[in-house]
Amino acid sequence: MLKGLFTTLKIALEKPVTTQYPEQRRPVHTRFKGRHTLKRYENGLEKCIGCALCAAACPADAIFVEASENTDEERYSPGERYASTYEINMLRCIFCGFCEDSCPTEAIVLGDQYEMSFGDRHSSIYTKELLLEPVSGDAETTPQKTKPGEFTRSVPVMQDPQD
Amino acid sequence: MTEAKKEKFIVPIGPQHPALKEPGNFEFTVDGEIVTDATVRLGFVHRGIEKACETRNYTQDMYLLERVCGICSHVHATAFVLGVEKLAGVQAPPRAEAIRVLAAELERIHSHLLWFGVAAHEAGFDTLFMYTWRDREVVMDILETLSGSRVHYSVNILGGVKIDIDQKLSDLIKKDMDFLEERTEHYMKVVTTDETFLGRTRGIGTLSRDRAKLLGAVGPTARASGVKRDVRVNAPYSGYKEFPVKMVIDQTGDLEARFVVRLKELYESYRLIREILEKIQPGEISTRIKRKIPEGEVISRVEAPRGELFYFIKSNGTEMPDRVKVRTPSLCNWGTITDVAVGHKLADMPMLLAGIDPCFSCNDRMVEIRSDSQPSQMMNWDGLRKYGIEYYK
Repeated sequence: MLKGLFTTLKIALEKPVTTQYPEQRRPVHTRFKGRHTLKRYENGLEKCIGCALCAAACPADAIFVEASENTDEERYSPGERYASTYEINMLRCIFCGFCEDSCPTEAIVLGDQYEMSFGDRHSSIYTKELLLEPVSGDAETTPQKTKPGEFTRSVPVMQDPQD
Repeated sequence: MTEAKKEKFIVPIGPQHPALKEPGNFEFTVDGEIVTDATVRLGFVHRGIEKACETRNYTQDMYLLERVCGICSHVHATAFVLGVEKLAGVQAPPRAEAIRVLAAELERIHSHLLWFGVAAHEAGFDTLFMYTWRDREVVMDILETLSGSRVHYSVNILGGVKIDIDQKLSDLIKKDMDFLEERTEHYMKVVTTDETFLGRTRGIGTLSRDRAKLLGAVGPTARASGVKRDVRVNAPYSGYKEFPVKMVIDQTGDLEARFVVRLKELYESYRLIREILEKIQPGEISTRIKRKIPEGEVISRVEAPRGELFYFIKSNGTEMPDRVKVRTPSLCNWGTITDVAVGHKLADMPMLLAGIDPCFSCNDRMVEIRSDSQPSQMMNWDGLRKYGIEYYK
């Protein structure tokens, strides 16, 4: 009996393994696949060029992309086109990360956010405004007015082609 | 008195199962406390995955099939991918195959620990349940670090794997394996010596070797009865050719043997994971595969944590498969339940059910009921749609 009590005492002094969720949060791992974010370049232009490769790759058909033409007066992204509509249905999304893999400009990235709850089905569709990350620093938000001939290439030159 | 004895008393259990968290309907005919007959009715979680596969391309199917089961998701994807690779005549690079085995073994650890917890819970040993699930969290954490998801890992892609391992990750896994091995040793002691636990398991639900063979038992259930049935050993696939496993066999065939076999398999998994991490060769992790798969039929078998998983894939030369047939291990093991249940007390039933590690979502097969009194209830898509609209009006 003493041996049993000793075990109880030993366990009682141990740190609890559970986390008190809303107050304490467990950090997610680097490879964690959470909510998507649409990235921007440092100059504030959107990385997404509206090629819809992510929509084609998506196993769950969760992504809807509609592209429009960029002009130098109203420039959203480098190159000819940008995504005028970008919607992800979070009820369909299976967080496989295939969109991330297929993106030629590394525009869509699965982040670390996992708290997504919605009251109705309509709010499960995340629009471009929700997904797009805010501009960093003093960069201008899109659409920007740019000089002609500055952003003709839609896919940036890769620094490390092995990556 | 003799009149009363002739009356059959049937205890229906489920579909809202009191012990397991999944739907399955059982009817136990009892004589007092003793069960004299048992039937099982499945298919409450039919989701039409096989049919849905025919309308998606191979990559999409892989993700869909991964969702057949929430516990053994990696093996489903592996079975499918191996089949498709065979059809396309593509061989995944050795490093990819090793990573596939690594993920499969981690999944086996996670599945066996989960089952162990559930079985302990059925036995009324909730402390053990809490401990095993705490330790399961360790392996879940590894899987999250490895793949980014705790449940559906999506490690596979057609022609290889998506994720790679580095030194840091391999050190972390090795450290956690040491911890888990120490814990498993403790569980082994509990399972084989604890009086209350042995009371629920020793000599209960004994399945003889011949019966197990006859009923087509697979996986740990069969191996606990002395049947040498393990796809990893009998027909090595993927990385198991390079990293062989030892088959764990027990001759007793009772519930205790099933616990012992599964726990011993855990040791084998730890050993194999360490071996893979030591011996893994650097190299490519994926090869290119065409979108259109050549015409043909293929059978693909892998060893899921619960037993042999079987896939049949028929391709018609397009981007989508013509037919995908899934035969899950749980389905094979149901026969053993209805067989061994006879002669046991009703109170032993939850333990017997838990003993085969049942997975109800694996049992979503279409069953056509042929009855003389009722006409066939086969429906085509339009009819089903119309029926659905009418029903929910």
